[in-house]
This record gives sequence, structure tokens and C-alpha cells, in this order.
Amino acid sequence: MGLKEYLHDIWEAVATTAKGMRITARYGVDPRETITLQYPEERWEPSKRFRGFLYNDIKTCTSCSMCVKVCPVDCIALEAVRGADKKLVLVSYGINIGRCMYCGLCVEVCPPKSLTHTSGYEKATVSRGELILHFVTEEAGEIKARVAKQVAEAAAKAEAEKAAKEEADKAAKAAEETQPPDAPPGKPRAERRESPSTILPATPVFAAENPGAGDDGEKKPAQEQKGEPANREEPPKEGGERTE
Amino acid sequence: MMESLAVSLVNAVPALSGVPLWTMTLLVMVVVAAVVLTFALLYAGLATYVERKVAGDIQARIGPNRVGPVGLLQFLADGIKLLLKEDIIPAKADRFLFALAPYLVFIGSFAAFVVVPFGVGLIASDLNIGVYYVMAISSLVVVGVMLAGWSSNNKWALLGGMRAAAQIVSYEVPVGMALLPAVLIAGSLSLQDIVRSQGGLLGIFGWNLFHNPFTFVSFFLYYTAALAETNRTPFDIPEAESELVSGYHVEYSGIRFAFFFLAEYGDMFVVSALATACFLGGWHVPFLDAEALPVAWGNLFSLGVFLAKALGLVLLMMWIRWTLPRLRVDQLMRMSWKYLVPITFFNLLGVSLWLLVFHGKGIPAMIASIFG
Repeated sequence: MGLKEYLHDIWEAVATTAKGMRITARYGVDPRETITLQYPEERWEPSKRFRGFLYNDIKTCTSCSMCVKVCPVDCIALEAVRGADKKLVLVSYGINIGRCMYCGLCVEVCPPKSLTHTSGYEKATVSRGELILHFVTEEAGEIKARVAKQVAEAAAKAEAEKAAKEEADKAAKAAEETQPPDAPPGKPRAERRESPSTILPATPVFAAENPGAGDDGEKKPAQEQKGEPANREEPPKEGGERTE
Repeated sequence: MMESLAVSLVNAVPALSGVPLWTMTLLVMVVVAAVVLTFALLYAGLATYVERKVAGDIQARIGPNRVGPVGLLQFLADGIKLLLKEDIIPAKADRFLFALAPYLVFIGSFAAFVVVPFGVGLIASDLNIGVYYVMAISSLVVVGVMLAGWSSNNKWALLGGMRAAAQIVSYEVPVGMALLPAVLIAGSLSLQDIVRSQGGLLGIFGWNLFHNPFTFVSFFLYYTAALAETNRTPFDIPEAESELVSGYHVEYSGIRFAFFFLAEYGDMFVVSALATACFLGGWHVPFLDAEALPVAWGNLFSLGVFLAKALGLVLLMMWIRWTLPRLRVDQLMRMSWKYLVPITFFNLLGVSLWLLVFHGKGIPAMIASIFG
């Protein structure tokens, strides 16, 4: 190592140190360089397409259960019954956000676009069960009872209508014995109406117990438990209503 | 110094005249020691806070800001936490040496405070071998560090201890050599004498830093070598978190760890104080002679000046720490033996020749003499 190299080494050490210290001094003095966010007091604005907690607008939800089918981690549980107007009525809708991986498939697949990602990302709970978001506030039993009642009413109405029509037909027949009977226009319709009314009330389309309530590891697939509580509850009610 | 203080105290307070002089002297000594220790601890605590703030600023972070106003009480929280922590001694450790090591390190670091010339009359003991004393007593740190490394019975601790010993022994040489020019100029090893030699009408140019080119270089050499002696980044290979977990104090916890920590910060101050006293004029400021002021004001003023200078150098150390990466072991040794040692020897020779040729006059003094 020659003297020239030796001196060059020294010079380089001094110069590079000075250069580095100038940079750190600039950062140290400039208050604008602080990028730390004091989290609970300050927050970043999440981006528009941020996939936060899921939210289901149950007013527009059609209970089609597409989200349940598409979810790769089975974190959505949906229960619905067939209503009087043949549309599905949502009985319960739960999303286990402890399990959700925020892939967004359910949001993409949702036909009425009722399921959306919110910008929420902060949640801390004492137990895992609290991580399940419920979107139907009403009690499941109440909804079922109400729907069953509506269905029964509709059925009774239809029956009454049919009876009235038959009565009218009979009367007409009696009145016009001589005239050839023409085909009753309302009959097939009434018949068709009658048959569903006996099976329809509160037929559960999808019924899954709360996903992962307690232990989600041992949760059975939604289809296996299909409609168990609903079936147990409904038939007596149905029968009771019909006897009235 | 102590005796004179005791004598003046006895003379000032008639009620104390019956007390034997040695009791008073002892009392004064204990009080002074307590004051110095309190200062040292307070300084060390605040220095940790400042260090973290500086680190935060440099890294575009905020640093501690939760405990007290702008986080100022953070050091109290840290201290209480360390006090309350469990004191763990590893099962296979050498218990006696393990317990002894932190005290040696702490003593080695804080005993040096004794000769720090805080002000005109503010010096715990103005030893006539001040510089030599600091060099000697701070070597006690090596013993403590090696003991800590050895007694922990941990490979990282042992490696750290060995590295620390090698490093401190290596850098003692340039540190001593770099301090000698100031001793040569003052003609005394007493730190107060060295400080007094830098006073006078020349103001800032009376300082040893500007005495001649060799002393100017000497200051930076001293500062660099002393930085290495305190085991701080970029010379922190004994601790080297990324290689040795945390080096010789890896097995220490609670208050024992706090001792190592305080010792490091104490070392920083001692090194900076020595640099201030030997090169930056100690408690001198241009155009205001603290010695001419009334005793109380003079002491207070000189204390402020000295602390400002010394703490400025401590701040510089922090700044360097958060700028430079760590040196490799071989680079460290090469820097000491191939660069610092030869250059400090050359410097020492240069200063000696300068003093011989120009009869002890510095460049500023010569320029001043031209203008009368």
C-alpha cells in the first residue's frame, strides 16, 4: 500500500462520513420528513377499492346464496325461507370475519350487488364468536313465524277463493241445469295454488347454523345441516294454522 | 480542594467549629460524590431520551412521545421498568463474577466524573494527574466487560467480551496519544490547568483546537478513537446486535443491565468532557472570563458553558451513531493500528517540534503578536 493510497483512504473515510452525516442531518432537522402516523389519533385514508369488512344490505339481498357457494373459506352462512310471494326471505345472514380472507369473490359474484366491502378494518373481540357479523337484526324464529303466517294466510285465502268459486260454480250449475257446463277457467289455477300451499310454508332453502360459533374448526358444511331447526319448528305450526 | 472547602465551611458556620476537620472533609466528600452521581444518572437518563429522539428524527420517525410532555419522562418510565424487572442469573453462570461485572463497568465509567472540570471551581477533585487518571480508570471498564462476557457462560457474551477487550485495548493507544498534545501545551496533566491554558484574550482561537494544525487533527483523532472506546456505533462490534445478539450483556436483565446501559452513557459524557476540556477550551467562552466573575455566578456560568460544549459533542456522537454502519472486526483493528496509531504518533511528534521551534506559541498567538 503506497502512501498515495493510504492518504486516499483517509480522505475517503472523512469525505464519506461527512456526506452521510449531511444526509442524516437533513432528515433530522426537517420536520416534514416525519412519516410516522400516530395511529389511534391519525389514520390513513383507505383507498377506494380497499377490501375491508363485508357489509350486506339485506334490503336488496335476494338470498340467492351465490356468496355462500363461492366463498373459498366458507365464512358466510345464509338461511332463507320461501315467502308468500314465492320470493326468498332472509332469515339470517352471518359472515365470520375471523375466517374471511377478504378475497372479494362474494362481492364480485353478488347479483344484486348488495354485498360490499366497507373500509372498516379495526375490530377486537373477547371471544371468537363475536367475530361473526350478523346483518339480519330480527330474531330468526320471528321471521319464520311471520313468513309462515303470511304463507298460511295466502293459502287460506286461495282456498277460500277456490271454495267460493266452487260454490259459485255449483250455484251456476244448479241454476242452469239444462245448459252444458263449460270448463271452469279458474280451476287449474286454483289447484295449482293449493298444492304448493301445503308444502311451501317456511321451506328452508338454506339453513346453516352460525358459522364457527364457538369452534369453527369443527363446523359441518352448510348443506349438511340444511333446514334442521326450521323443519322441526314449522310442521306443527303449519298444521295448526290449517285447522283453523 | 475538599479540605479547603471543609475549612471554609467550618469558618463560615460557627456552630460547626467544634466538629473535627476530618469529619467535615468526609462529609463534604460524600456530598460532592452524591451530587456528581446524581448529575451523572440524570444526564444518562436524559441522554437515552435524546438519543431516541435523535434516532427518530434521523429515521423520519417521531420517537418517544407518550410519557409526559413530548415523552420527556420516558427515561423515568424506563428506569422504573428496569428496576422492577426480574434479576435473572443464568444457572451455569459464575454467580460472583456475574454480579461483580456491572459494578466494575459502572465504577470505571463514573469514577472518571471525578476529574471532569465542570466549572471554575466545580471539580470533584482536581487531581494533578487528571488525564492519566481518566485513562487509567476507564480501563477498568475492560475488566468489567470481559468478566461479564466470561461469567455469563454464553458464547455470544464471551465473543462480545473478547471483542470489547481487544477493541478497548487497541484504542487506548490512539486515545492517549491524541490527548498528549493538550498536555504538552499546558505542561500539566491536571484538567483544570489544561482548561486554564486555553483562556486569554484570543477567545475561540485560544483553544487548543486552533493552536496549530497538529492539534486540530488531534482533536478529530481523539474523538474518533474515543468513540471506539465507548463501544458505540460505528464501533459497536462488542454489542453488534445482528451478530452477537447484544454482546457481553446478553444475559443481563433488570438493574444489572441498567448499570451497563448507564455506564455507556456515562462513558459518552466523559469522553466528550475530556475532548471539551483538552481541545475546546473547557468552560472558556470568548471575551468573558468566568474567573473574573463573582464566585457563584462564575461557577454557574462556566458550568453552563462546559455542559453546552460537552453535551454538544454527545449529540454529535448520537448523530454519528445513526449515520454510520458498523465496522467489521478486521476493519476496526486496521483502523486503529494502521491509521489512528501512526497518525497520532506523527501528530505528537509534530506538536512537540512545534512547541520546541515556536516556544509554545500557537498560530493564533503568533498572528496576534504581529498586530501587537
